[in-house]
Amino acid sequence: MPESMVAPDAAREPLRLEQRADLKSFLGLSLKNGLLNLVTLTLYRFWGKTEVRRRIWTSTYLNDEPFEYRGRGIELFIGFLIALGLGAVFLGLVFAVQFLGPVAALLILPAYIGLMALIGFAMFAAFRYMASRTAWRGVRFHLAGSGVKYGFRYLGYLWLSALTLGWFWPAAQIRLAAPLWSGLHFGDRAFAFDMEDAKQENVYGPFLLMWAGVIVFYFGFAGVAFALFAASDFDPEQASPAAMMAFNYGLLLVFALAVVLLSLPYRTAMMRCIARGIRFDGVKVRLEVRTFAFAGLFLSNIVLLTISLGFLMPFVQARTAKFLFNRIKLVGEVDFAAIHQSPETGPRQGEGLADAFGLSIV
Amino acid sequence: MRGRANDGRTAAAHDVEVEVNDWSLAFRLGGDEHLWPLSQIEAEPLGDLVRLSRRGENARLTVSAQDWRAAAASVSKPVERRRRRRERRMVAALAAAAAAILLFVFVGVPWASGPLARATPPGLESQLGETYAAQLGLVFPTCAGADGQAVLHAFGDSLEEGMDTPFNIVVEAVEAPMVNAFALPGGHVLVTDDLIAEAESPDELAAVIAHEAAHVEQRHVMQAVWRTVGLGMMLDLVVGGGTGAGQQAVLLAGSATELRYSREAEAEADRRGQEILHASGLSSQGMAPFFRRLAGRDPEDDRTKGVMEFLSTHPDSLRRAAVSQARARPGELAISAEDWAQVKAVCDGDPRRRSGR
Repeated sequence: MPESMVAPDAAREPLRLEQRADLKSFLGLSLKNGLLNLVTLTLYRFWGKTEVRRRIWTSTYLNDEPFEYRGRGIELFIGFLIALGLGAVFLGLVFAVQFLGPVAALLILPAYIGLMALIGFAMFAAFRYMASRTAWRGVRFHLAGSGVKYGFRYLGYLWLSALTLGWFWPAAQIRLAAPLWSGLHFGDRAFAFDMEDAKQENVYGPFLLMWAGVIVFYFGFAGVAFALFAASDFDPEQASPAAMMAFNYGLLLVFALAVVLLSLPYRTAMMRCIARGIRFDGVKVRLEVRTFAFAGLFLSNIVLLTISLGFLMPFVQARTAKFLFNRIKLVGEVDFAAIHQSPETGPRQGEGLADAFGLSIV
Repeated sequence: MRGRANDGRTAAAHDVEVEVNDWSLAFRLGGDEHLWPLSQIEAEPLGDLVRLSRRGENARLTVSAQDWRAAAASVSKPVERRRRRRERRMVAALAAAAAAILLFVFVGVPWASGPLARATPPGLESQLGETYAAQLGLVFPTCAGADGQAVLHAFGDSLEEGMDTPFNIVVEAVEAPMVNAFALPGGHVLVTDDLIAEAESPDELAAVIAHEAAHVEQRHVMQAVWRTVGLGMMLDLVVGGGTGAGQQAVLLAGSATELRYSREAEAEADRRGQEILHASGLSSQGMAPFFRRLAGRDPEDDRTKGVMEFLSTHPDSLRRAAVSQARARPGELAISAEDWAQVKAVCDGDPRRRSGR
């Protein structure tokens, strides 16, 4: 490999990230993807998703030069076919066990638990695929590390979180982000994750707010509803089934909305926390996002997806990317001439399992 | 023209001078001369700019879109046309695949479910039934009245004489918060406590049990199992990862087919159920009044909720009442008055019995 001839100081560039997506163009893309998904029973989704990513990547600029998405729809489709084969084997086993008698049916339980580890593996594999298909100035990214290890780590953290009534979950989210970012490479240069710095961000405060808020709201809500029942002469046994159903779903909706609202400070803090831990060649990442601004985005996204029956997903993804990337500040300088292409080209197909579990974010 | 280039080896960017002729472009970067035939260049539009690459290479060249349009006028149109044609062909192939899947799921699987069910060895079906019964037993506990259960058991056995089936019809009363009866694969027939309470005469209960026994004889249950397996596998796997309206449309279509098949099966079970009763010399006059009473219930009645559940799995009660009325024949009483009292009390002894009846 050629040695850099330039003095290191002179070549260092400060970094500026910018998302310049033209959101209006994503409305048309949403319509096109939605219609083609309908006629193809959603089989088009791999190509649709690829186009959405390509447009978001190429409208994300680092130092005035856009990223590049090199993934292809056919790669996602082949990944899907592989997951389809594995899924058919799994469902076949589940079905066959039904013939073996009641005791054998219990054996399927470990398989379902194993499925949780598979979800962790699928998340890692999806991130690995996306990294390997991302490039900037002609240099590819890639993710190093073991997906299997990540899967079992995910499974273990889920158990720990359940045993601690959720209290381990914030720590788990940071610990699950760490291997993704410390395994990420741009060319031959590795990213890192500074756990200590990430922990400077207060996530347990907002978590307490969410955790206690949900409990207080649940019992307060139940209490108020009960008091209303007692005060009125409304008798659920006498009400028509349709009215009862509407009433039940109404309650559920109000509760779900309350949980979402209570979770927003935590969600925002967790994003800031993970961003804060990311390092690249001494460059620090700061995500300057406040709860109120994020709440506006999050709630309007829910409304958009609900009224469009999911059609506007590409639009929602683009405006979310624009919102987040434009709030990222990169502190530090990098000598890009000293970063070389890595021979690592990543997996040949992608995300089949993540697709099967409905996991992918973008 | 001028451009900005990356050599694909490092992440440095360089300003370069690009020479263009009719069939290629060339630029010099570091010590390397890059010569790209226009026909092998992929162009990615970036607003006013365009990012060029040669297939399979990591080097990138960004030039103004205007310059590129002028330089590649001869090749860009056919390239674009080829790209469009490829995309159209791909969408057409996917749509054809989708149509094949729909055909398989909504025509192929239901069509094959009859032969598949008949080809399923009875031993295997019984095994499956045992598993289902064990699983259902966790949700719907068996009623405690041993005498009443014995009467139901004996009645199930007596029906077998008039049936053409390898299966042993095992009737059992269970606790469940709904008015319903189920046939499981392999001959288990479960009757809920609410249904027993709802039945006003032995004839009515006998008709319901004979109807479920007919489902077993005709192997409707096994057919439904095969349909569910086929439908579930295809839909879960193919559409499972998708989101939005497409998935909803398919699921809706799926439940519509299931409803059509179950309606045919219900009509057949009504007919065979009555024949089975006739073959044992029993009255089949209980079916019509039971349906009619369920269909004609006052909606303000406090048990309407349970009745709604029965109707949703046993649709079209009034029409079925009329049809079964026409076929009904008098005969012996299925269950003696003394036994009937035992049956009515079959679920009384359970301490876990629901309150608020």
